[in-house]
Amino acid sequence: MLNALDKSLLKTVADLEGLPKGAYNIRKNGKLLSRKVSANIDIETNADNTGIVVTIKPGTKNESVHIPVILSQAGLYDVVHNSFIIGEDAEVTIVAGCGIHCGTSEPEGHAGIHDFQVGKRAKVTYVEKHYASGDGRGRRTLNPTTKVFLAEGAEAAMELTQIAGVDEANRLNEAVLAADSLLLITERVLTDGDQTAVSTNNIVLKGAGSRANMISRSVMKGDSKQTFYATMDAQNKCFGHIECDAIIMDNGTNETMPSLKAGHPDAELTHEASIGKIASDQLTKLMSLGLTYDEAVNRIIQGFLK
Amino acid sequence: MLELKNVYFTVPKSEEDREDLLNIIDGVNFTFEAGKFYAITGPNGSGKTTLAKLIMGIYPVSQGTIVYNGQDIAGWTITERAKAGIAYSFQHPARFKGITFRELLTVATGIEDENTLLGIMRRVGICPLSFLDKEVDAKLSGGEIKKMELATTIAAKPSLAIYDEPDTGIDLWTIGPMVSLLKKEAAEKQTTTIVVSHNKAFLEAADIVIIINSGKIVYSGNLEDALPLLEDLSVCTYRDSCEGDHDAQCFR
Repeated sequence: MLNALDKSLLKTVADLEGLPKGAYNIRKNGKLLSRKVSANIDIETNADNTGIVVTIKPGTKNESVHIPVILSQAGLYDVVHNSFIIGEDAEVTIVAGCGIHCGTSEPEGHAGIHDFQVGKRAKVTYVEKHYASGDGRGRRTLNPTTKVFLAEGAEAAMELTQIAGVDEANRLNEAVLAADSLLLITERVLTDGDQTAVSTNNIVLKGAGSRANMISRSVMKGDSKQTFYATMDAQNKCFGHIECDAIIMDNGTNETMPSLKAGHPDAELTHEASIGKIASDQLTKLMSLGLTYDEAVNRIIQGFLK
Repeated sequence: MLELKNVYFTVPKSEEDREDLLNIIDGVNFTFEAGKFYAITGPNGSGKTTLAKLIMGIYPVSQGTIVYNGQDIAGWTITERAKAGIAYSFQHPARFKGITFRELLTVATGIEDENTLLGIMRRVGICPLSFLDKEVDAKLSGGEIKKMELATTIAAKPSLAIYDEPDTGIDLWTIGPMVSLLKKEAAEKQTTTIVVSHNKAFLEAADIVIIINSGKIVYSGNLEDALPLLEDLSVCTYRDSCEGDHDAQCFR
C-alpha cells in the first residue's frame, strides 16, 4: 500500500516507519489512502468532502493521531480543510505534515486549512512538518493555515516546521484565547536558493489570564527570503510574548514585523527580535572545541532550528 | 612547550588612516614550560587577553612565531590548535539558542555516553549534574555559564589550557575551589596553565606571574617581587585621557 517514496516522505514529515499506532488518516495525492480510528478518536470525511473532522472524546488521555499528507502527482494542487474538535479535559498529540515529491517540471502544492476547537482544560500538542524533495524543477508550494480557538483553561503547543525544499510558503496562524488558556507556538523555517516564505500570525488574547508565547526561528540560505508578521492583540489582563530570531546566511533577506496591541490596562506584552549572521563568538567557541568552521556553522543552525 | 618569539599584533590606530599603526602586542618573547601554572596580569588595556587570543589563534599574529611542542603554529587555525591540545576558556562565553551543555561537552570530549559525561562533571566538580541538559543560552546567569565554560575546558583534557578572567561572575565562595581545581589539573595532568587575571587568588597560586604593560612583558617571576611593580601600575599612567569621567577604568 505504501511504496518506497511514500515511506520516505512519511518518515521525514511524521517520523513514521510504516503505519502509525493509534488513530491515523493518510492522504495521498488528494485522496484518502488509509484511515484508522480508535475508541476515543473518531475521524470522518467532512460534509463537503474537502477534508476530515477529527473528534477527540472528552477526557481522552495520552493518545495521538497522525494525519500526514503526501504528494507525488505532477501538476496537483491539493486543498484540504480539516477540523479538530478536542473534548474537555482531553490530552492529545496531533501529528500533521506534508511531504511533496516533485519529479517533473509541473508544479505541485498543498494547502492544509486546519481549525482547532480546544475544549475547556484540554491540552493539545500539534506537530506539523513540511518538506519537499525530488529532482523535478516544478515549483513546490505549501500554504498552511491554522485557526485555533482555545476555551477556558485550554492549552495548545504548536510546533510548525518547514524543513527543506519548499519553493513558496504562505502560512497563516490565527488564534483566539479564552480566559486562563495558554498558547505556545514554535515555528522553524529553513529556506534556500530562491525560495520565499511568509508567515502571518494573529493572536487575540481575549480572556482574562490568557497567555501566549510565539517563537519564530528563521534561517535564510542562498538568495531566499522570509517575511514574518506577528500581532498580539491583548483585550484583557493577559500576558503575551513574541520572540523572533533570524539567521542570515549567504545572501538571504528577512523582514520581521512583531506588533503588540494592548487594549486593556493590565495587558503585559513583550517582544524581542533579532536578524543577523551567526555571531562570531559562537563560531570561535565551537572551533576552539575542535570543530571546523563548516562544522561549527552546521551545529549552530541545527541547534537554532531544533 | 610553548615559545613566543618576537610576537607582534598590530592594528591601525584609526579607520581613516590605516598607515598609522599601533602595536597592541609589542615584540613579546617568552617560553612557557610544561606543567607550570602561569598568571598573566597587568593594567586594563595592556594586551593580556590579546596575547592569550594570539596563542589560541583567535587573532592572527602580525609578526613573529609561536612554537608549540616544536612546531610553528602561528599560521594554524583555531580548530587545528584545539585538535593539537590547546583549550581556551573565554571571559564572556558565547551563548547559543538550542545548544545544551551536554552537546558542548560532547563536542569538547568526543564522548556521548551520559554516565561518562556525568563522571567528567563529578570529577570537575564545579557544575551541578543538573546542568547537563540546560541550554547554554541567555537564561543562564553569568556565574552558571562561566562554570560551564571552565568545565568544558577541563573536560577537553588539554595540554595547554588558557583561562581568560575565569572568576568573572563567579561568587566569592567558588573562587578558592576553582583555584585548587586548576592547580590540581596542572599538577596531576601536567597541563600547562595560563590564567589571565587580576584576582590575587590566582596570582598567589601561580608558579610564575607575568606582568604585561603596553603590549610588552615587563616582569616574570614570583609574586613577591612583582608586588611593587603591580602597585606602580595600578596608578593611572594616562593622565591626559583620565581627566574626564569617560575613562572611569583609570580610577582604580
